[in-house]
Amino acid sequence: MTTRRRVLAGLLASGLVPAASWADAGSPAYLAAARRGDGRYILVGLTADGLPLFDLPLPARGHAAAAHPKRPEAVAFARRPGRFALVLDCSTGDLLARLDAPTGRHFYGHGAFSADGTRLFTTENDYGAPRGMVGVWDAARGYARVGEFSSGGTGPHDILRLPGEETLVVANGGIETHPDSGRAKLNLPAMRPNLSYLDPNGALVEQVAPDPALHMNSIRHLAVAPDGTVAIAFQWQGDPYDAPPLVALHRRGGELRYLQAPEPLHRQMQGYGGSIALSGSQVAVTSPRGGILQLFELGQGAFAGDHSLTDVCGVSPRAGGFLVTTGTGAVHGLSGGVLDPAGTHPLQWDNHLVGLVPA
Amino acid sequence: MRMVLASALFALSALPAQASAMLDAALNEHILPGFAELEANAARLSEVATETCDPQSPDLRAAFNEAWDSWIAVSHLRFGPTEAGNRAFALGFWPDTRGVVPKSLAKLIADEDPIVEDPVAFLDVSVAARGFTALEFLLYDPALAVASDYHCALIRAVTEDIAITTAAIAEDWQGDYGAAFLAPGPDAPFRTETEALAAVYSGMTTGLEFTVEARLGRPLGTFERPRPKRAEARRAGRSLHHVLISIRSNAELAQILSTGHPEQAADIAAAFERAEEAAQRVDDPTFEGVADPSGRLRVETLQQRVTNARDTARLAIGPQLGIAEGFNALDGD
Repeated sequence: MTTRRRVLAGLLASGLVPAASWADAGSPAYLAAARRGDGRYILVGLTADGLPLFDLPLPARGHAAAAHPKRPEAVAFARRPGRFALVLDCSTGDLLARLDAPTGRHFYGHGAFSADGTRLFTTENDYGAPRGMVGVWDAARGYARVGEFSSGGTGPHDILRLPGEETLVVANGGIETHPDSGRAKLNLPAMRPNLSYLDPNGALVEQVAPDPALHMNSIRHLAVAPDGTVAIAFQWQGDPYDAPPLVALHRRGGELRYLQAPEPLHRQMQGYGGSIALSGSQVAVTSPRGGILQLFELGQGAFAGDHSLTDVCGVSPRAGGFLVTTGTGAVHGLSGGVLDPAGTHPLQWDNHLVGLVPA
Repeated sequence: MRMVLASALFALSALPAQASAMLDAALNEHILPGFAELEANAARLSEVATETCDPQSPDLRAAFNEAWDSWIAVSHLRFGPTEAGNRAFALGFWPDTRGVVPKSLAKLIADEDPIVEDPVAFLDVSVAARGFTALEFLLYDPALAVASDYHCALIRAVTEDIAITTAAIAEDWQGDYGAAFLAPGPDAPFRTETEALAAVYSGMTTGLEFTVEARLGRPLGTFERPRPKRAEARRAGRSLHHVLISIRSNAELAQILSTGHPEQAADIAAAFERAEEAAQRVDDPTFEGVADPSGRLRVETLQQRVTNARDTARLAIGPQLGIAEGFNALDGD
């Protein structure tokens, strides 16, 4: 494995072979992890219309994926608290590298590439401390571990890069966990989530946290718009019938701006935002627990409608709207407030639908 | 190396042979009779309210309790007609963590809001001031069950609204929605029979989950901090009664969904019977005793038995129907 990785890395680094591109993988527009009917796990590439293009085996349940901005490489992350991530060549199906979390660390399931594709950043738990970390991997040299820095909080989950710059934005969920106790939440009364902006060397450039009264609103998943607006999906850890807003928008230098559907529609979210996406003038948030997707207008933050879909979770932008996936195998387009079935597959789409459009 | 996805995959499960028979039984033996009874009892409640609106009236209270019983018995069927226009929330807004129900009612009464004179306009009143939860306050809450001309008009408006809402649900089920439920297709609410069955199955599992987590879990709170005042329908003394109705109604639905599998059906029936026995041993209609160790134990036992009935039904029925439930909902990340 090591030899193969070095050879590949050397070839890629030296430029001796023509670099493969995403076109060699059939130009997928999205990646999503899934579970097949026979219980095996896969990573799937989908077209812009939501049609499966290829699938690659995963050794265990996946969560999210990160797509290399240039090469047809996808990093598939194991479900939390996973200790490995796989770098897959989406044009050949080959396993290019395996990222093993260093001793005392596990992955949270999300990662992001630098704009030039030379670095991969992964959210990790330094569970002995405990503190949230961002691991740095050299994507130009076989994904060697080259560093790490603080995530700016506890329980970092989603991580994205702001469009057109190298700044990273991290959702520090605030929840302390330890792999010895699985996913048990160890610090709910004291949790303090935040949204942290970090430069690629780990310097904290800006941080924003919910009001102390909302300290149990875990910042979990993120989306970014081309203009740098960050959308946040929360997971409320308090009374499920008393959830505060589960969506917020943030611009650098500004405050959190909360969006919430009128009651009783807000209650249908069951305190749980699963995935979030920005497209045009709208933001979409999903709740698999409530089996519902809600839309809001970015401008005034007005509620813009909802759609019931069993076990809906994955959502990503596409031209004129969104593409949506569910745990029942369905794919739907969503444009102009209309849900349009785009196929049902004999598999269960996992939490996230990751867009490949480079930021 | 690249594969065509569909060829590489297996179907989640074959469609059970009994699918259409099960859908037919779910509709004709459970759903339609349940909503028809609710419609009839709600119409009767509204009629009684036109005769007497005295909150102490035994006739009015009896009609109220019967109608609420029939709503609880179908309240797990949370899809399609109950969800249009937030009808289910308009029939019962609970849990009410911020006391919105009494606040909304107090405001209507204080303002003597004339909206009570117009049944169509009343459909736009906050769901918190509509339905059985609101009516419970108007009949049993010491601060809100105070007779006056306006109070009488409000009771009549709420009962008429309940009658209109329940009639609309029954009509949808008896009409297009019920027909579409039996005939899944590309343009129907359900594309396949499995999808339609999954909706019913999900109603059962989430209905039982609600009984475990909310009806029992909220008053139980924690051992250190029991929360008896959070019991559902405690003013009318119906907290335990709602748990019993939920057990019985979902037991009936579970039998329909295990048609053709007599051994599993018997296991499921036994698990629901154990839950019902545990409910009958709770001699505490509003769970006031959850702060007392022995009283608490009986409610906790009930909660465990309902959980067990739900899990028994889920494990026996889900795979048979080819339903892979909650892949993301249960993942929680």
